[in-house]
Amino acid sequence: MSLLLSIKNLRVLFNTRQGQTVAVDDLSFDLNQGDTLAIVGESGSGKSVACYSLLGLIPTPPGKIESGTALFNGEDLLQMDEAQLRKIRGNKISMIFQDPMTSLNPYMTVLDQLVEVLKQHHQINKKDAREKAVAALMDVGIEDAENRIDDYPHQFSGGMRQRVMIAMALMAEPQLLIADEPTTALDVTVQAQILKLIKDIQIKRQLAVIFITHDLAVAAQVSNQILVMEKGRQVEYGDTGTLFTESTQPYTQKLLSSVLRGGKVFPSFVDKNSKPLVEIHNLQTSFGISTGSFFQTKKLRKTVLENINLNIYSGEILGLVGESGSGKSTLGRSVIRLLESDKGEVIFEGRNLVELDYGQLKSARRDFQMIFQDPYASLDPRMTVFDTLAEPLLHHHLANKNNIEEQVNQLLDDVGLDRRFLRRYPHEFSGGQRQRIAIARAISVKPKLIIADEPVSALDVTIRAQILQLLLELTQKHQLTLLFISHDMSVIRYICDRVIVMKDGHLIEQGETEEIFNNPKELYTQQLLDSVPRF
Amino acid sequence: MQIEKGTSLTQDAIRRLRQNRMAMSGLWILVFIIIIALLTPWIAPYSYEEQNLALGASAPSFEHWLGTDTLGRDQLTRIMYGSRVSLMVGFVATSVALTIGVLWGAIAGFLGGRVDAVMMRIVDALYALPFTIFIVLLTVIFGSSMLLLFLAIGAVEWLTMARIVRGQVLNVKQQEFIEASVSIGLSPWQIISRHIVPNVLGPIIVYSTLTIPSVILLESFLSFLGLGVQPPASSWGSLISGGVETMEEYPWLLIFPGLTLTITLFSLNFLGDGLRDALDPRSARD
Repeated sequence: MSLLLSIKNLRVLFNTRQGQTVAVDDLSFDLNQGDTLAIVGESGSGKSVACYSLLGLIPTPPGKIESGTALFNGEDLLQMDEAQLRKIRGNKISMIFQDPMTSLNPYMTVLDQLVEVLKQHHQINKKDAREKAVAALMDVGIEDAENRIDDYPHQFSGGMRQRVMIAMALMAEPQLLIADEPTTALDVTVQAQILKLIKDIQIKRQLAVIFITHDLAVAAQVSNQILVMEKGRQVEYGDTGTLFTESTQPYTQKLLSSVLRGGKVFPSFVDKNSKPLVEIHNLQTSFGISTGSFFQTKKLRKTVLENINLNIYSGEILGLVGESGSGKSTLGRSVIRLLESDKGEVIFEGRNLVELDYGQLKSARRDFQMIFQDPYASLDPRMTVFDTLAEPLLHHHLANKNNIEEQVNQLLDDVGLDRRFLRRYPHEFSGGQRQRIAIARAISVKPKLIIADEPVSALDVTIRAQILQLLLELTQKHQLTLLFISHDMSVIRYICDRVIVMKDGHLIEQGETEEIFNNPKELYTQQLLDSVPRF
Repeated sequence: MQIEKGTSLTQDAIRRLRQNRMAMSGLWILVFIIIIALLTPWIAPYSYEEQNLALGASAPSFEHWLGTDTLGRDQLTRIMYGSRVSLMVGFVATSVALTIGVLWGAIAGFLGGRVDAVMMRIVDALYALPFTIFIVLLTVIFGSSMLLLFLAIGAVEWLTMARIVRGQVLNVKQQEFIEASVSIGLSPWQIISRHIVPNVLGPIIVYSTLTIPSVILLESFLSFLGLGVQPPASSWGSLISGGVETMEEYPWLLIFPGLTLTITLFSLNFLGDGLRDALDPRSARD
């Protein structure tokens, strides 16, 4: 195998108001043709910056490539000017980005976007270009490529768009593909397909791939070399096979230990013979889509949940699994009436929540709270931590002016945040810390039921393990009942006592966690389980 | 380690505003202009209607620092008296527009659906009214008065504000922290006042600082139509439009009122930018 890319002592700085920060420090690696290198690290570890700086894609200033060489086919990328780099980008080295929803131009057809790459680098006529684009789409497994090529990005699903992105990256037949978290935004079954696709194409074309990811399991599956980065430094670099078994670096160990394996260590004590905390009967929820003019609205309704029957027992953590669009978030929101349902019953302590009037509902809200997925959007950016946490306490008269500060401080202790953060605003915290604040807000009013909607899917792996641990502790300490919504099977197995599988608005399977994982009865559940990356 | 400083958004905002030199100088210049305007009847060197036809339009001199107009009236005095009208129109009409526009837009955007549709169609209908004819009608029916001037300007300016606020609210409303406040049990009114309005303050402030100058200029147009300030009383708008006519012979009649207005507007803009940054915790640079 011939050497394609050789990085030596790459060092990238960023000048900020606070002074210089080193984003990438002394990074060195070699990549042969046909090999896959996975760069693993948490957010902020410099893994993306390192790759972007190769192609001159970091903004300078504030960024600055201070030293190092990056020999690509014997030429130093770091010494090239913008015009030379443009000949490399998309042509010899191309990229796939994380979010397939935003990395395609919504106003251009897929054909135009695919052909744009070719036109940039080669002389080619319209007919040939179209033929090549169709072939590229077929290569990435898009059916009916001949017709679909004239569609716009919004007409494709997330997984399809990522396939289009890959097709686009491969149009000019590059030698090196840089994939920056290409599957993070995708469902687990789609992720499995995309990983397989990248692998197949790589073997077929003898492509070199740099795969940036925070997920060790994904890295293990796709790569033959792994480079672990922490805070800009290269912690470990070696063959994928040996790294997992022979690593002695504490940081790699930490990453490995944060991979969730196996089931719940201490299952919650749940009395199945007791009366359930929540009984859901025949719940149906639909969304109205109105069309037509103001005076003549035609209401179409799309049923999102149908005939949901479900019990939630006091003290349990009930997992709700499904792919995006399966209606799992809608179910969570319908239970606590953040969304209105069409019919059915949600019996909570003898009262049917679906039928409560506005006043009753307002006071009942104390008993059920929600933790949201995106810790960046779920906190009011203009409120300090203190204001955010004091609001529910004061609203429900659980504290008064004299003891509010003490109560809020106790909440911070509960979720493991330092008391001196009290007056800070959300943007001053990391994602994990924000999620702790959101959890503190949810438990502040001592609710009986908490709906956690993908609470860890936006977090780094090491942070994810910590937050799950925190949730386990808190449910024990405060005797909480959790409806835990997730698409991640390993998370569900780690934290839940019981699991419900959803597909297309229906419950298709439910049971004890270990039973579902060891003996799935439905084919769909089996598929979900099979697509979890393993090593 | 000490608990970090700051208690509420307002106090934080004041602290941050103080650190912003541009905004603070803007604020002080505005305060200075407002004080002068308030004290004008006592400190003005001449009376605003005192004419000296023999003198005519004279260039700046020791007796008349900013010169005199074609009727020999002292320009400094006229600018000082004019500031009373212009500033009052600017601030009062803008606050009227601000209050109605923000409430209207926030309620329409937050409640959505049919309420939103009806409220915004009313805005559209008012937009469609030809402004000039509307004013002329008002003048014919009610005669001219300052009150009517505020009413007329307010009636026009709040429309754009309502649209801007509604658009922003629609955006903020979708964020999860609004859902979080619903699940806490807050009422719609509490959610609007505590969570939505503070989060749309940025565009509101910027648009307000743009509204004040346009209102000041609108006033001169209305005065020209006979609604509002009538000669010999003056306003910045009327002084500027008068100055434009004699620009070639007596440039100081345009330059000085123009300069006063420009300084005021610059100060307003600096202050507005400063306020917007100060009210957004994310722009903090400590």
